[in-house]
Amino acid sequence: MAEYELDCMGEACPIPLMKTEKKMETLVAGDVLVVHIDHSCAMKNVPEWARKQGFNVEVEEVDDGEWDVIIEK
Amino acid sequence: MSEPSTPIVRKRATASRKKKRNQIPFGFLVFALMIVVGILLSMRESALGMFWLFGGCFGFILQKSRFCFTASMRDPCITGSTSVTKAVLVAFALTSIGFTAIKYSAFAAGQTIPGQSYIMPISIATAVGGILFGIGMVIAGGCASGTLMRVGEGFTMQMLALLFFVIGSLWGAKDMGWWTEHFIAGAPRVFLPDVFGWLGAIVLQLLIIACLFVAADLWERKKMGTTEGE
Repeated sequence: MAEYELDCMGEACPIPLMKTEKKMETLVAGDVLVVHIDHSCAMKNVPEWARKQGFNVEVEEVDDGEWDVIIEK
Repeated sequence: MSEPSTPIVRKRATASRKKKRNQIPFGFLVFALMIVVGILLSMRESALGMFWLFGGCFGFILQKSRFCFTASMRDPCITGSTSVTKAVLVAFALTSIGFTAIKYSAFAAGQTIPGQSYIMPISIATAVGGILFGIGMVIAGGCASGTLMRVGEGFTMQMLALLFFVIGSLWGAKDMGWWTEHFIAGAPRVFLPDVFGWLGAIVLQLLIIACLFVAADLWERKKMGTTEGE
């Protein structure tokens, strides 16, 4: 049940999604990954991808235009 | 996928967070300002006011829907997700019907069909330009409309993209005459209703879009093993 963080601030689509994909491969079931993003497009496609993979996903708006996508494998 | 009811347990609490500024007054201010500018523009020239109104609506819808032409072409390759692709195809189908209605009503009334000057010649330049634009938009993280929208959202990297987009467009416009003369001028211009008739053209176009839609759906099933809403 480890928690990892992934900093994707300032990264445009599709970098956050691809980084998340890579990072998720290294996680084991039950681990949580928190992805920090500030690109509105990633706020949509990262959760969408993760949900389609069957992961548990939550999105939190941390600040104006900054989000945390919390993914549980 | 069914939404699990239990929230994800996080080790770190997310309590240390800045209090958000209420943006609603700013929203009203900008809205009022837009109306004033719109009225001023339409007093100068009525078409300008309409452009302003359409531009504002277009930007609002684009931002809220997170509609992205780049994602529609890119996501199928990266993740296999085609939900945006399908949205773009639906939009194409709707605009096809709308434009056919506008053009046909003008044709039926015996008037000049509007927008015929936008029927562009098809040549190898179209394909090459498409590939170049595709590479550029994936690197820049957005197509023309997407870049503009994210500049409005305040995404710094895309302001840089917009700057070079403007430079590139200006350069392109400067040399367009030469390219037209040497590569494009001889290419055929096709207006589908001239070839297939009005009904044939719209039916054919919708059929092709429907085929692409089915293909996109199958692609997503194959690549992701699932699709939205299941």
